[in-house]
Amino acid sequence: MIADIFTVAWKELREMLVQGDPRGRSRLSLFLLVIIFGVVIPLQNGRDWIDSPVSVIIWGWMPFLWVSGIVADSFAGERERHTLESLLATRLSDRAILIGKFLAALLYGCVLTWIILIVSLVTVNVTNAGGGLLLFPLPLAAGAVIFSILISGLAASIGVLVSLRAGSVRQAQQLMSIGMLVLFLPFMFLQFIPSEVRRSMVDFLTNTDPVQIAILVAIGLLILDGILTAIGMSLFQRSKLILD
Amino acid sequence: MCAYIKKIGMNMDAIRTENLTRSFGGLKAVDHLTLEVPRGIVFGFLGPNGSGKTTTIRLLLGLLDADEGRVEVLGFDTRTKADEVRKRSGALLEFNGLYERLSAADNLDYYGRIWHMSKAERDSRIQQLLTPLELYDRRAEPIGRWSRGMKQKLAVARTLMHRPELVFLDEPTAGLDPVASAALREDLERLAMQEGVTIFLTTHNLAEAEKLCAQVGVISRGQLLAVGSPEELRSRTSAPRLYVTGKFLPQTLEQMKSNPLIKKAEQHNSRLVLDLNDMQRSHEIVTQLVQSGVQIDEVRKEKADLEDVFLNLVDEDKRGEE
Repeated sequence: MIADIFTVAWKELREMLVQGDPRGRSRLSLFLLVIIFGVVIPLQNGRDWIDSPVSVIIWGWMPFLWVSGIVADSFAGERERHTLESLLATRLSDRAILIGKFLAALLYGCVLTWIILIVSLVTVNVTNAGGGLLLFPLPLAAGAVIFSILISGLAASIGVLVSLRAGSVRQAQQLMSIGMLVLFLPFMFLQFIPSEVRRSMVDFLTNTDPVQIAILVAIGLLILDGILTAIGMSLFQRSKLILD
Repeated sequence: MCAYIKKIGMNMDAIRTENLTRSFGGLKAVDHLTLEVPRGIVFGFLGPNGSGKTTTIRLLLGLLDADEGRVEVLGFDTRTKADEVRKRSGALLEFNGLYERLSAADNLDYYGRIWHMSKAERDSRIQQLLTPLELYDRRAEPIGRWSRGMKQKLAVARTLMHRPELVFLDEPTAGLDPVASAALREDLERLAMQEGVTIFLTTHNLAEAEKLCAQVGVISRGQLLAVGSPEELRSRTSAPRLYVTGKFLPQTLEQMKSNPLIKKAEQHNSRLVLDLNDMQRSHEIVTQLVQSGVQIDEVRKEKADLEDVFLNLVDEDKRGEE
């Protein structure tokens, strides 16, 4: 089972990164992401990029963007390119196929985030030459790593779910965009919350240990990831996928 | 030529279905199909578009559930052991299912990994399969820009990658030009002979079926109309045929149609095609033609080919329905 999961993930990652893109578009877009988030933005922000606790939010949400860009392809792409039925006709179990695709998206989001994290650290240190070695504070670094995993997992599980049901990659991408909008919607409505409630929320957040909040959010994300993956597994039916 | 593949030496049928039925809405795609395919042969499954061939393959692979009936493939009931069937089978379905962004080697390597082949095994198998297909030197190329024929060859190789006991090939030569089609047929035959597998092949190309298959089954509207060797089907279901070339009179065709010795008469320019009720009395027809003033250049007696058998069966089935 584990070997099968890695086999599916291997193929997904190989298709994403290594081959078959004669103009090198996928590699170019990855390079641009690294340049923008690993060089340009850290250059603009300087030392704050490393010190500010706000950057945890950035490190948390960036993987969602990376993963949602590629995960729509997982099942919808196979269906669109007529490779799904051949895959379903192999000895692979339903779980191996589903988890393999999930794992590939998760790895893509995490590894890309970590690469950008390291490149941005190098960028800030290069501009700070002579000022001593700058490092992310440990809670921030741990938060970035943990949230990149959980948020990548969230995007991967939503994406796999959407891709499972979508008729085409385009439709899956549109549904993912709507999903992102729904996730951000609560933040947009913050301004409409009565000022007293808002004040008490701010009080709660400022008086509570940020590590505790991060742990609570992480647990919530972990549960959400688990629920979404379980839904994906229950929806994965070979006969239904064939007829779709 | 009947391509009997190396016998595996087991008595069990590779495929056995009993009253297999599957409907989509009100349409019965497969209707009480009862079929036995012995091990180690190339079995041709023939039928017009939408006759239920692809649905049958999906049912045999356990990709669809049957509404009714039983399926046993390689001794496993597909209702409960479809994974065992898929473990031992290879399938080239309606579409080739190749990953066009990957190289030829990676496409095969992926399927080798799926079947838990070791790295050394995969590498040697890729070489073994691609060399005779003249694709080994191009194995590192992404296949997106390959011709359809090359992709189809690769898809056949992928189907055989893990040395399956049973191979399903759904119209493997569909869409290929005649040259590519003939080349693929040769490759397929050679590969199949070397691998010693049971091949369940659907095709529209009846000449191909006649050359490749030890047995054929004809399906129409989900029902099996006939099954047997191409030879058996020809003698069982088709009338002996007489081809007469010459200069005919305007009334010749009508005369032939009303002749009780003749089942069916058609005229194509200077050629008369006559399906006879009794081949032994063909000389009587020739005598009648000569006596009526027809100038005969050539007379040829022949049994109908598989295409005629197929067309007759499907035609009779349609008429029966009407």
